[in-house]
Amino acid sequence: MIPEIGHILLIITFVASILQVVFWCYNIKKSDQITIDVLQKSTFINFIFILFSFGILVYSFIISDFSLVIVSDNSHTLKPLIYKISGTWGNHEGSLMLWILILSFFTFLVSRKKNNISPKLLPSIIGIQTIILCLFLSFILFTSNPFERVDTLPIDGNGLNPLLQDPGLALHPPLLYFGYVGLSVSFSFAVAALITGEINKEWARQMRPWITIAWSALTIGIALGSWWAYYELGWGGWWFWDPVENASFMPWLIATALLHSVRILEVRFILINWTILLSILAFSFSLLGTFIVRSGLLTSVHAFASDPSRGLFILIILAIATGGPLILYATKSSSFQENKTQFNIFSKESALLINNLFLTTAASTVLIGTLYPLFLDAFNGNKISIGPAYYNATFAPIMAPVILLMAMAPFLSWGIKKPKQISKKIFFLTTITLLGGMGLFIIEESSLFSIICGSLAIWLFTGVIVDFTSQIKNANVNLSSFKTLLLFFSKNNIGIHIAHMGVAVFLAGVTGEQFYKTEFNIKKNIGDVISIGNKSLIFNKVETLAGPNYKSETATFTLLKNGTIISVLKPEKRFYPIEKSQTTEAAILSDFWGDTYLVLGDGNKETGWSIRVYFNPLISWIWGGAGLMSLGGLVSILQSRTARRQVKSTS
Amino acid sequence: MNPKYRRLLIIIFIIMTLGLATKLILMALEENIIYFFTPNEIKMKYGNKANIQNTIRVGGLVLENSVIEKDGITKFNITDRSHKIEVLFDGLLPDLFREGQGIVVEGIFQNNKLIASQVLAKHDENYMPPEVADALIKNGVWQGEKK
Repeated sequence: MIPEIGHILLIITFVASILQVVFWCYNIKKSDQITIDVLQKSTFINFIFILFSFGILVYSFIISDFSLVIVSDNSHTLKPLIYKISGTWGNHEGSLMLWILILSFFTFLVSRKKNNISPKLLPSIIGIQTIILCLFLSFILFTSNPFERVDTLPIDGNGLNPLLQDPGLALHPPLLYFGYVGLSVSFSFAVAALITGEINKEWARQMRPWITIAWSALTIGIALGSWWAYYELGWGGWWFWDPVENASFMPWLIATALLHSVRILEVRFILINWTILLSILAFSFSLLGTFIVRSGLLTSVHAFASDPSRGLFILIILAIATGGPLILYATKSSSFQENKTQFNIFSKESALLINNLFLTTAASTVLIGTLYPLFLDAFNGNKISIGPAYYNATFAPIMAPVILLMAMAPFLSWGIKKPKQISKKIFFLTTITLLGGMGLFIIEESSLFSIICGSLAIWLFTGVIVDFTSQIKNANVNLSSFKTLLLFFSKNNIGIHIAHMGVAVFLAGVTGEQFYKTEFNIKKNIGDVISIGNKSLIFNKVETLAGPNYKSETATFTLLKNGTIISVLKPEKRFYPIEKSQTTEAAILSDFWGDTYLVLGDGNKETGWSIRVYFNPLISWIWGGAGLMSLGGLVSILQSRTARRQVKSTS
Repeated sequence: MNPKYRRLLIIIFIIMTLGLATKLILMALEENIIYFFTPNEIKMKYGNKANIQNTIRVGGLVLENSVIEKDGITKFNITDRSHKIEVLFDGLLPDLFREGQGIVVEGIFQNNKLIASQVLAKHDENYMPPEVADALIKNGVWQGEKK
């Protein structure tokens, strides 16, 4: 009975949201208090209903209600509680429920901003959000009902794919969806601006925090996914340029471009059309990402829960959500009046604009690499795949200038040029970078690419430090006084510094992992010793152990450095009898300078076991860097809030 | 600089960037595409003397009773039930590698043997890589997924 309530709540929300859209269309030109109130209240009700419906689904998973198809297909009584809960979104239907939950949550949050967002825009923003909600609700109700009952009640469930029984992957989809769906808000802002013709600096100022929060969530979501792939798949790598990974990376690139272009719009009131276009594209790429992941159309090594027949429905949603606004854009975009000021080559806006151009170009190389196999297959039936080599040859060279400009753009001022001031800083940057590059060349035997990559990291790192210290110097901050320091932080957006520093750290991690890693396969038996430089691994034993819902073959290795024991590593092979599948659990010893990564292969006491050993220098910097980027986004939202509050209180 | 001239400069810059990107993409596509073949297609195209230096992918089923492991090198055959190909692999096999399972092997051909750099199997045990499924259906040995 309880699941039916969940289903009915969804149906009610679907009908209510259609009525809401009709109401909005009927009052499209109105911006009075009553219209806003009605839309706001119904948005709140939508959110509450979906929240309850989602709660019921989670509850069904917790109590293992196997009369539901998705519970019996994806859960099991023996599974730990946290994976029963995360199993809710570890499947197609449940993940869509999570999607609409987050969508209605965002819509609810936006609708509460009636004091900030212009009353002309707000009804349209809510209206567009509700249309998206409607589309996804119809998708769920007509093709992927999560509350479907089974014909015959099974004794126990099929269990969740063991690879998904992992804390990293419990959090990865919610964060990723938070990013995907968060971009719907800027999309709605853009479409609302096209419908009402209302666009100004305030529009950009109101939209920016939404993009930032979505971008931060997307960043950390992608990083979590990559981290999961690293420790769970046992391949020793962190990014495979797989279609499913690209699907989340393309909206990230566009969102990054948007984040910067909306800032130009806010300060200089130029690039209106470009910003609107990016807003539409960012969300379209999110939908495309969902489509790629959910449809199973592209061969991916780690796509879960895909079904081609449903892919078509998402394709239709994608067509409506992208096509409609683009047509609107084509007819309306010429009507916006921009600020007709001088556009200086040596200004901040021109540096950001050039970076925008590079970022979108980079996104299109990823798009082409991802979709080209599909086109070729449809065109002449040739089956191909495109691997990392393609991306190294296209994406990497396009991103290099982005890093170069990224360090310099903060030195420049809006509108005017001050070449004398910046030339000193750039000279300093260049010197440090050249010295660093030479250092890299001397210390370690390295290729040209590794030196370029490492130098770019040094360049950016130094750039951020130089900019930060010069800001502190200009503001005359007394570093020993906590109060003035706090005042400085509330006035200056150090979120930018943190995020850019994140990119530098990330780049350093990539350099270490890409160019200096060691990996080899070896066959060893108990008692043998493997030496790697000044370290050695002693193969102690292999034992069979039992986990809560799996059996494990666990090997024990002792890692010694210069004769002293540093750590004990225990790589495992697990067998999950319920799911009838085997997983590899790599043993990873992580420290600041790199990871020792050990994978246990097949083997037995007679022949020994095959073992794969990796040493990945600086690899944790990759996720650390992503974490910093995400943190930078959050800090900049907090900063802009406090700044706004200060402006309000002084006025 | 007058605005007209500046605008021209910006447009030239945009065109140059896009042109460069297109050039990079085309070059990369030409060199880095990995073509997919079935064992049958390899036989038809190269006979019994396949020597392919470009990385390719071959998909099929792991032939029953063909997996031999010696000195850390795994030897096995993959088949589309009309021809088979010998594969040598010195890495760790994926968890879902087993006889009869659909897999994709990436590598180069030397003396009619596929020297694998990567063996791909999906996480899902019921999964058949789409390319392999297509090839098997074409050969009439598999009717598609049982639902």
